[in-house]
Amino acid sequence: MLEARHLKKYYTVKEKTGWFSREKQLIRAVDEIDLSIDKGEIVGLLGVNGAGKTTTIKMLSTLLTPTSGTITVDGTNVVEQPNRIKQQVNMIAGGERMLYWRLTARENLMYFGKLYGLHGQTLTERCRQLIRLVGLDEAADHPVERYSKGMKQRLQIARGLINDPDYLFLDEPTLGLDAPVARQLRKTVKDLAKVRNKGILLTSHYLEEVQELCDRVYIIEKGHLLLHGTPERIIQTVVNIFHLQAVVSGQSSDSIWLKQELEKRNVQVSVKDSDEGKLLHMTASFDMTASFIALVAKQGLILKKLEATKPNLEDAIIKLAEESHAS
Amino acid sequence: MNLLSIIWAEVRKSHRHNFNNHLVYFSLFVWPAILFINAYYAFKPFNLQAGSPLARFVPFDKLGLFLITGYLAYIFFWSLVQSAWQMAYERQQGTLELLLLTPVPRIWLMFGRAAANLIEAVWLFSAFSLLIILFMGGVHVAEWWLVPVAIVLLVLSAVIWGGFLNIIFLFSRDAGVLYTLFEAPMEFFSGVRMPVLAFPIWAKSIAFLFPLTYVLTILRGVVMEGKTFRDLSGSLILLLGVLTVLVIASLFLVRVAERHAKETGNLTLF
Repeated sequence: MLEARHLKKYYTVKEKTGWFSREKQLIRAVDEIDLSIDKGEIVGLLGVNGAGKTTTIKMLSTLLTPTSGTITVDGTNVVEQPNRIKQQVNMIAGGERMLYWRLTARENLMYFGKLYGLHGQTLTERCRQLIRLVGLDEAADHPVERYSKGMKQRLQIARGLINDPDYLFLDEPTLGLDAPVARQLRKTVKDLAKVRNKGILLTSHYLEEVQELCDRVYIIEKGHLLLHGTPERIIQTVVNIFHLQAVVSGQSSDSIWLKQELEKRNVQVSVKDSDEGKLLHMTASFDMTASFIALVAKQGLILKKLEATKPNLEDAIIKLAEESHAS
Repeated sequence: MNLLSIIWAEVRKSHRHNFNNHLVYFSLFVWPAILFINAYYAFKPFNLQAGSPLARFVPFDKLGLFLITGYLAYIFFWSLVQSAWQMAYERQQGTLELLLLTPVPRIWLMFGRAAANLIEAVWLFSAFSLLIILFMGGVHVAEWWLVPVAIVLLVLSAVIWGGFLNIIFLFSRDAGVLYTLFEAPMEFFSGVRMPVLAFPIWAKSIAFLFPLTYVLTILRGVVMEGKTFRDLSGSLILLLGVLTVLVIASLFLVRVAERHAKETGNLTLF
């Protein structure tokens, strides 16, 4: 397990205040964050720009030294034994940088593999397997500069797996990718965790992606941990509003009965006439779909249309950000 | 993991990345060749016969040999200043951060980069220099076994110098100022065109800061002046001393540079 406890990263930056004068400012990029990642688990790290996500990932991957706090990977301290940890972790960032564009995919992988101490047949075979894993077989010996954005990103994934890490940190891996390519990458990420048993930390601004992939989510804001839990739990905690819209046929008395019954169950209901029947708008702090259907069946009404709107992670993040700004 | 494997990885990367276009070899040949020709003909209008100020240090008939050995050694060192400059590209491309994400010993990586770039950068001009030396004649060697020793010392010194510069570039995105500091001053003060002994004291003191100065003294002593190992032992000790200081400084600075980068996160600034 990868564990971070009371993690802090403060920077001192100098701001120009005049021609020859500068003022020191303390930036608290990360402030008292606790997190953990198990092998085989995908953990999301969410927050608006500047929340401290990339700083956290860089501390976990040994690229930054924490100001205080501890990070352990399977019991080994990251600060005390960085070289041992570097064999166990890797990082992949979104975008097109972090590759040698004039080299081919195979040459990039061979180069980075050697820096991890791989050589000979082991390295050649590892590169071949990774190229196949990310579906770059046909383009493996073409220079990276000829690749599309999606191909470069797939190569980044292969590069991040060159040392067969136990833990992988993905910093916005689907940034700017087309929907089909992003979907393929999401599948690869899911397989890495669920089939290859890698612990994955994922940051992304695409919250549907996080909701789809992540077992647990940490939400940070201005370096502080705001919330932690499964996506469902976070949504339930932050935005416990469910909407249901339905059209039922029947008499006005039926809709009045339905309204009263629902209100007894703490559901807010408005009823309007429509061409097809009575249009009901229902709002509650829980998912009232099952109760509503049971009531419709009990009364023998015909349900002509039903549309449920569940809150998603995006609603939760927006609400948290609004609350944070308000405070 | 071993040093040779790292050097080989860097050789392959450097070949594909920095020497992708054959015109690069052409420029690495033409540029020092023009410098050599320029320097040679710049001396021509002056009286260089016996009794002239320069003839006290370089005999007139050996001026060509003096200059070509000077530029041969200079290109070894100069090409590594350029290669260190490439670190700025790695910083911009984000690959520098990835290099430090790996467990490779940093000092191997820095010296490996230097060694890898050196081979490709100098081979063409070295071949040209050899032809010029054979064509001009005037070689005076007392102990032939010292010739390969001098070449090994030249390569070793250049690699240590290049590794040191690579490490300096780890510190800051603005280390490009080194190019200005080292290019022309190294050519002038190290005695590439003018013998160091002809310099005033203040210039001599600058000259002895550059390892190229000692390398040139040994190289010219071996191929031009017929000096023996015993004659050159003083320069050899000085060179080894300077190289030891550079290696120790490199070992120290590479740790400081990485610690600094980890504290400030400056590797992503460009």
